[in-house]
Amino acid sequence: MEPVDIGIAVSLGLLVMVVLGMRVAFAAALAGLIGLVWIFWSKKGYDPADFGWALSVAVKTAGQVPHSKVASQALSLIPTFILIGYLAYYAGLTRALFEAAKRWLGWVPGGMAVSTVFATAGFAAVSGASVATAAVFARIAIPEMLKAGYDKRFAAGVVAAGGTLASLIPPSAILVIYAIIVEQDVGKLLLAGFIPGVVSALIYAALIMGLALTIRGFGPPVRGFTWGQRLHALRPALPIVFVVMTIVLFVYNPFGGDAWGTPTEGGAIGAFVVFLMALWHGMRWNQFKDALLETAKLSVMIFTIIWGVLIYVRFLGFADLPGAFSDWITSLEQSPMLTLVMILLAYAVLGMFMDAIGMLLLTLPVVYPAVMALNGGEFVSAADSTFGMSGPMCAIWFGILVVKMAEFCLITPPIGLNCFVVAGVRDDISVQDVFRGVTPFFVADAVTIAVLVAVPGIVLWLPGLA
Amino acid sequence: MAALAPVLEDTSLLSRLDRSLYRLERVLALLSGLAVFGLMVLAVGSVGGRHLFNAPLPGYVDWIQQAMPLIAFMGIAYTQRDGGHIRMDILIGALRGRLLWAAEFVTTFAILGLMVLLVWGSWAHFQRSFDFTAPMWSRDSSFDINLPLWPAKLLAPVAFCVLCLRLALQLWGYGRAFVLNLAEPVAVPLVRSAAEMAAAEAEHVSGADS
Amino acid sequence: EEWNVSLWGKRRAFTEHVEKLAELVSEKTGGAFTLNISYGGLSQNTENLDGISIGAFEMAQFCAGYHRDKNPSITVLELPFLGISSLDQEREISMALYDHPAVRNDLARWNATLLMPSPLPQYNFVGVGEAPRTLDDYKGMTVRATGGIGAAMEMIGAVPTSMSATEVRQALDSGVVKAVSFAPHAHMSFGTIETGAWWTTNLNPGTVNCPVVVNTDALDALSDEHREALLGSVDEALDHYIDYYNNETMAKWGPALEERAIEQITYSAEALATFQQAAAGPAATAWIGEMNDRGLPAQELYDFVIGMIGQ
Ligand code: NA
Ligand code: NA
Repeated sequence: MEPVDIGIAVSLGLLVMVVLGMRVAFAAALAGLIGLVWIFWSKKGYDPADFGWALSVAVKTAGQVPHSKVASQALSLIPTFILIGYLAYYAGLTRALFEAAKRWLGWVPGGMAVSTVFATAGFAAVSGASVATAAVFARIAIPEMLKAGYDKRFAAGVVAAGGTLASLIPPSAILVIYAIIVEQDVGKLLLAGFIPGVVSALIYAALIMGLALTIRGFGPPVRGFTWGQRLHALRPALPIVFVVMTIVLFVYNPFGGDAWGTPTEGGAIGAFVVFLMALWHGMRWNQFKDALLETAKLSVMIFTIIWGVLIYVRFLGFADLPGAFSDWITSLEQSPMLTLVMILLAYAVLGMFMDAIGMLLLTLPVVYPAVMALNGGEFVSAADSTFGMSGPMCAIWFGILVVKMAEFCLITPPIGLNCFVVAGVRDDISVQDVFRGVTPFFVADAVTIAVLVAVPGIVLWLPGLA
Repeated sequence: MAALAPVLEDTSLLSRLDRSLYRLERVLALLSGLAVFGLMVLAVGSVGGRHLFNAPLPGYVDWIQQAMPLIAFMGIAYTQRDGGHIRMDILIGALRGRLLWAAEFVTTFAILGLMVLLVWGSWAHFQRSFDFTAPMWSRDSSFDINLPLWPAKLLAPVAFCVLCLRLALQLWGYGRAFVLNLAEPVAVPLVRSAAEMAAAEAEHVSGADS
Repeated sequence: EEWNVSLWGKRRAFTEHVEKLAELVSEKTGGAFTLNISYGGLSQNTENLDGISIGAFEMAQFCAGYHRDKNPSITVLELPFLGISSLDQEREISMALYDHPAVRNDLARWNATLLMPSPLPQYNFVGVGEAPRTLDDYKGMTVRATGGIGAAMEMIGAVPTSMSATEVRQALDSGVVKAVSFAPHAHMSFGTIETGAWWTTNLNPGTVNCPVVVNTDALDALSDEHREALLGSVDEALDHYIDYYNNETMAKWGPALEERAIEQITYSAEALATFQQAAAGPAATAWIGEMNDRGLPAQELYDFVIGMIGQ
């Protein structure tokens, strides 16, 4: 068998292992290891005397990957972003945000729901994980919406959808993972997520206001807050602004002059600021220990998939499968834009059955080079490219599209995790209720994705400045 | 992410071994959490040093690279114990009884086989960076300030060995469940529906906010 | 017969000799012996020597400064202010050093045989703000300079700051560092000249040494004909490399600086002598001390290199 055929056979084997329920990280590593043995042994013509040699070379090749891939400065952002999220609960930032959003935005049609969307967007600026955001707001925002007379299914849907904003608006663990896998600038990718995240929130808000204006008894606006009350509500929410400003000042100083540091430092300093706030808010050692343990657990889960998948990727390198897939994609006789849209649709389907991080890590090693080839190569200039953007810019654009796709899958049946989380918080709301309530947001997300595909400038303007 | 470990306990030898190992795993995981905290402190030191004293921390990047394996590996068995490594459980979640325990046994056995090989491979990686006769025993060093890399490389086989112990215990647990046809065996993470998982997670998160 | 070759990044001036070598070997053997070049697919650049030692691939390129303790002997060529002035001189001295018994033994620990260097010009600084015209102007200046160059800059009072190459542009933009040392091609590819205001033409604080190695067992297992095709093509591949570097990369460098109106700072011979006195001597002494501890004939290696430069 040619290496490419071995690559295809082993990839199918990996798929079978994942479907059978083997833990993704280990399934990928095992597939990679078996593939490496196969490749090295085939080089010796499958001589039984050489099997021991092939096994030893494969094991030692795979054995380098965990340490050498994990010991990276850029990856250090993942645990810091996760820690920020956990500490933010202890700092009491969530309730403060919701209260402020309610007082400032409650008066618009569908005011409580719109407030929820913007409060989740604000919390997204300190939280790196969607599922956690949905869980917190299910507890804070749903009771208030019910009190205001909203349909419980819709109230649950708003929270499930709003939670997905956390992975676009920086900080975002999943954007960092994407940047690592495709070896692009983490800082630029994080910046790139900001405007699409805000656009997403605006489209959600527009949808809610549209529904409120057309459906009778949808949920009345909340009026009657004085300016004094509004200003008063801002104070406890201000720390969020402070954290965001800290991170921004480290990455890109909008006032001109020197920024204060690099993205890696920015993430860590942001975490430190939230840590101090949590202390000030009364966090105890036991709570802090819990936050550290949860951070460790989630981090190790992500890192294990990363090195497991990278063992598989190392094997793919020897099999040259990504090269073959790129050649195939670029040889298709249809418009490249159609191909790109089909790739995105494939992610929508895959995402219905798989976890977002696992899905990206498993597919990007093969899909990303193909998309880059479609645009004219990793180092193409904007002028010579298919999509009218340079290689690095295309990498950023595709990253935001794919992450938005993955977030979309957090609210789609059958295993949209955000919906399960919301249903889990509320005894009176079933998973089916949440899926029903979140359905209008499919439209909003489809519109957002179409807008991002049609107007790449929304994604690329901010990273283009930096 | 669930805070509640879905692992049952009783007074059997297996369960006692499970809990002893869990204590060790927890300490290692806490070490990993403290390393994340260390990253924060390191950044404060680096930024503070640069802005306040015009004295950046020498080899800031090298130190981060040293800390990362602590974060990435030390909690690996802790996470496996609670069933925290993600998987696609549509199929396995539909299985019951002996069929379920057989399926769990087979995939766990495959993981154990993999990890034994990776202990070998990562140990070889460590060995290539280690030399008893060299200064600081170092045969591989970091880019900027030349820190020896062998301690960080050693963490992988050490953490993987603990994971192998954990996997062996889980094999015992699944094997016992299969033989005795148990409904709720001890010392292994039980498959829970997505809804149960979400409930556990939500409970953890909301406990913190109030 | 097919050999796998582990490089990284993309095809560029820095890899032209390997590309040329592959072309020549295939030509001379009528396609019976081919080099299958992979850019980053087979290994991470810092693990290339490990891959050679394992036998995962037969040929690879790496830089000595990535991991000093893996290849202490050849880091002598990365000492600061050595005074090497051309790619040809860098090539000649490297090839001679690679044949030194102490160096061969050092690499033999990795089952590796040194094939050829990838000569790079001396690093120099691109910076923002006030240009440094004297040794004193470097005092307190934050610079991105790693390894031996960083140590040397510290001796003359600068403040070396560490960050990965991909963060360099942003650090310079934002003023986290005031100057960055790279070879010209790296200044172009990492975009420092888009921000920079000045460039030191002849500070020449040092460079990195990046050899191409082969797995010794694989080399020994080659038929005489194939080995001859490989080893006999090295000179021509290096000729091509140096031509390419001088005519493609360096030819673009001057105009790139002028286009962006970057001020070119040239130090006088006396000024350079001051730099060398402040940094070169102490760095060499420190290196010799450390390498003696590693059991290398450090003084001999150092004298060997200095002797060749003096000729
Ligand atoms: Na976020
Ligand atoms: Na889903």
